[in-house]
Amino acid sequence: MTLFHFGNCFALAYFPYFITYKCSGLSEYNAFWRCVQAGATYLFVQLCKMLFLATFFPTWEGGAGVYDFVGEFMKATVDLADLLGLHLVMSRNAGKGEYKIMVAAMGWATAELVMSRCLPLWVGARGIEFDWKYIQMSFDSNISLAHYITMAAAVWMFTRYDLPKSFRLPVTVLVALCVYKAFLMELFVHVFLLGSWTVLLVKAVLTGAISLASLFLFVNLVHSS
Amino acid sequence: MFEEASEVFDNMFKSSFPLTFIVFIPAVLILVSPLPAEAAHEFTVYRMQQYDLQGQPYGTRNSILNTEARTMEADVLSRRCVLMRLADFSFDKYQKALRQSAGAVVIMLPKNMSAMPQDVLQQFMELEPDMLTTETIVPVYFAIEDDELLSIYTQTLTSSSSQGSLSAAEVLLHTATANGFQMVTSGAQSKAMGDWAITSLEGRLTGVGGEDLPTIVLVAHYDSFGVAPWLSYGADSNASGVSMLLELARLFSKLYTYKRTHAAYNLLFFVSGGGKFNYQGTKRWLEDNLDHTDASLLQDNVAFVMCLDTVGNGDSLHLHVSKPPKEGTPQSSLLKELEMVISSQYPEVKFSMVHKKINLADDMLAWEHERFGIRRLPAFTLSHLPSHRSVQRSSIMDVRSVSFSRHGAGEPPSGPHVDVKRLGRNTKVVAEALARVIYNLTEKGAPGDLQIFTEQMQVQEEQLSAVVEWLTAQPRAAQLVDKDSSVVSTLEYHLGRHLKDVKRHYVKADKRDPEFVFYDQLKQTMNAYRVKPAIFDLLLAVCIATYLGLMYLAIQVSGCESGLWLRYQRRSPGGRFDLNVFNLINWLLHEVSKGFKLPFPGLPAELRGPVWDRPQTHPAQSKGPLRNHQEKLRLDRAAGSTAARVDFMNQNHPLSLPVFLLMQQQVGGVIFYRSFSNTNQRLQKVTCRGSCEDGRILPHAGGKSLVFFWGIIVCCLSFLLLHWSDPLIQASEDPLSYPSVQVGVQSLLFCLS
Repeated sequence: MTLFHFGNCFALAYFPYFITYKCSGLSEYNAFWRCVQAGATYLFVQLCKMLFLATFFPTWEGGAGVYDFVGEFMKATVDLADLLGLHLVMSRNAGKGEYKIMVAAMGWATAELVMSRCLPLWVGARGIEFDWKYIQMSFDSNISLAHYITMAAAVWMFTRYDLPKSFRLPVTVLVALCVYKAFLMELFVHVFLLGSWTVLLVKAVLTGAISLASLFLFVNLVHSS
Repeated sequence: MFEEASEVFDNMFKSSFPLTFIVFIPAVLILVSPLPAEAAHEFTVYRMQQYDLQGQPYGTRNSILNTEARTMEADVLSRRCVLMRLADFSFDKYQKALRQSAGAVVIMLPKNMSAMPQDVLQQFMELEPDMLTTETIVPVYFAIEDDELLSIYTQTLTSSSSQGSLSAAEVLLHTATANGFQMVTSGAQSKAMGDWAITSLEGRLTGVGGEDLPTIVLVAHYDSFGVAPWLSYGADSNASGVSMLLELARLFSKLYTYKRTHAAYNLLFFVSGGGKFNYQGTKRWLEDNLDHTDASLLQDNVAFVMCLDTVGNGDSLHLHVSKPPKEGTPQSSLLKELEMVISSQYPEVKFSMVHKKINLADDMLAWEHERFGIRRLPAFTLSHLPSHRSVQRSSIMDVRSVSFSRHGAGEPPSGPHVDVKRLGRNTKVVAEALARVIYNLTEKGAPGDLQIFTEQMQVQEEQLSAVVEWLTAQPRAAQLVDKDSSVVSTLEYHLGRHLKDVKRHYVKADKRDPEFVFYDQLKQTMNAYRVKPAIFDLLLAVCIATYLGLMYLAIQVSGCESGLWLRYQRRSPGGRFDLNVFNLINWLLHEVSKGFKLPFPGLPAELRGPVWDRPQTHPAQSKGPLRNHQEKLRLDRAAGSTAARVDFMNQNHPLSLPVFLLMQQQVGGVIFYRSFSNTNQRLQKVTCRGSCEDGRILPHAGGKSLVFFWGIIVCCLSFLLLHWSDPLIQASEDPLSYPSVQVGVQSLLFCLS
């Protein structure tokens, strides 16, 4: 039944992307190639980040149980490149705000799905051995989708010149939260020693909170303009 | 791009049937390709003996294994790997497992065997020969327990013992949480080892004076035996015999170096292999020396042959003979000397002579001296065991204990083992008796308590202990010791230090009528994979489908028009607002803010309330009945949605009829409605005319639903293919009895129906 299990995990990971793509109407706008270009930008940005991390950050020689807070924080700061990449994608796409956000986010998230989750699923979920981590990985990809949509929306809002003054601080906080969300999750895991399902739940709640907040701000911004 | 791809699929279905298979079958084959996986636990297992002796097969016949684990408490044991612990082992359970055609048996032995109670070990030792003579087609493995294996056992135990007693809901919950284990061995099927050579070693000490000196032969076999070859260390039987032999060789070679003590006897030392397999080494050595050579020490004057077998423990010594020695022969003088030495120097030792006639009708010979007796050489065996049938001669429990400190001072380990003090005492007894015979001391008037081997000539217990430790550090089953083995070469070296003319002697089985056949694959690596039952995957698929369906509904509320949220700002000509996520959430927040009296941008009036209650503000419908199909399409396109009536029975598609039937079985056509869009063939909503004005949606055929349909077929085929490739299903005669195969066939039939 292992192929079936692979099919389960793949469906769980991939279908929400597909549903989002279809129902958000991007297909009406022939946005497929633009999403692919956004995915290519994702690859390029990840490559640059990897080179940067490998060149400038030394390997951690502490013990196994000690968690290098400062080092991990610095590494998370490199994720600012993600924001630059998203901004780049959005600025190259002409169109309405929502269109830009959705194209960038869909392309980015799909590229991340293909690069970082398809291969572990293919290799691992097909084996005889059963492990819950593949289902968790697929759920995580759903959460990532929401996360990237939020991040794209936050970046878009951040770069708007007509952003009201009262919105500037919340949007900045949102952007920072998006970038450091992974770092915060690692922190939680190390400090509270959470189990794997609890981690997923906390991640989902956190992403949900961030995305609702950014949605609220976005709707307010769009309505008021 | 998607649309173009989907068009390709459409053409594929329409044009030629084989093309679909050309595309799908390689994909399916790639998908079902085998895959190495990491196991939950990997451990070494040792197989039961497998050998043929004189044509009679013994032990297990099979070595490969790929089955699910169960314990004895489970109801269904057939085609499963039964795990048993040594403490719970009994022959009844073993036979019950075999009768129920279990796939394999794995017996778990504790790491510290000495800690087990005596009666458990004794019972197991007595069962070992029975297990070997029982005809076993399935592989039987032994594994040493470690923590992970023990946890696997306890998990399997809980799931096995709770199988029959649960309600259906509990069974469902159980499948979600329980862990099954699949045991897989990595090796191949066992084969006979054709050119296996059993090695024996001989060395001599030549006596002084003349050609025709009498010869005394000292023999001990160095191999060990047990129910599993890799676990047979053979401490008492027969590492004790070999160490005594080496010590005697050392002592007598020391005596023979000095001219004054150089006796007039030739001493021939023989360390034989294949002893536990009916003394093959000795048999061939005798044939070679007596039949095929002209001059050999064995052909001339042989005083007697003394075989040493299991002399490392006990407070008694028995001299086993096949015919009582006649008066005046060297054998009788040795017998007398032994009695004298024991009675005067070691009165605590009970000595007796045991007379057993050679019975050629038996499968196996009793003691090693019987080989010599058959060739009419006077021989006897010295052992502390009273009977050759004693099970501790061929048991895996015969191990030297690792450290005495674990048992406390003076507390012996349970099971057979070597006591170095007693071994030293027995060695001294034999050495003294031999010396008295060789130097004819009794006739010369030496008293009974004269001790020769004292001070510098003392029997060295450290030497004995070191040899026993070295020998019991590795398994010495005859199947494992080949001519390049370190055991043989080290023995050769040790013999060479004290004896002259150390020679090797090889025995290979006859090609046409082999006396012994050994089989390989005796040690394997077994992997235990954590698996979930087939029902679990189906359950998971149902849960995932529910989750995806809910998500789909959440993103796009059911029964609506085109959900293009991008047209949120771009109002459609009919003044209608399209529903989308943002509007929905807006409405939600609006309601919430109304409740909490918060300021919030208001929602247009058209959006309040669920979509399906809203009046259809379709401009085209207000113009009266439509004239023709084309105009209807044009108007609908202008309005932003199509509502062309489709008579799909006239559709130019070969599969429309089965698909229609399939659709009829779907509960609600929501899934198929509006899932996909196509620029050429826009998704068509079938609306009723006449009696159903409420816009009820009928199921219909869409282009992409065929992809879905074929996808199900491919999934079922691949599922079946996956299970057909399982070797156990292929090997069994009744593959349809496997629940997974049944599920696959039923779902395929359902799809095709």
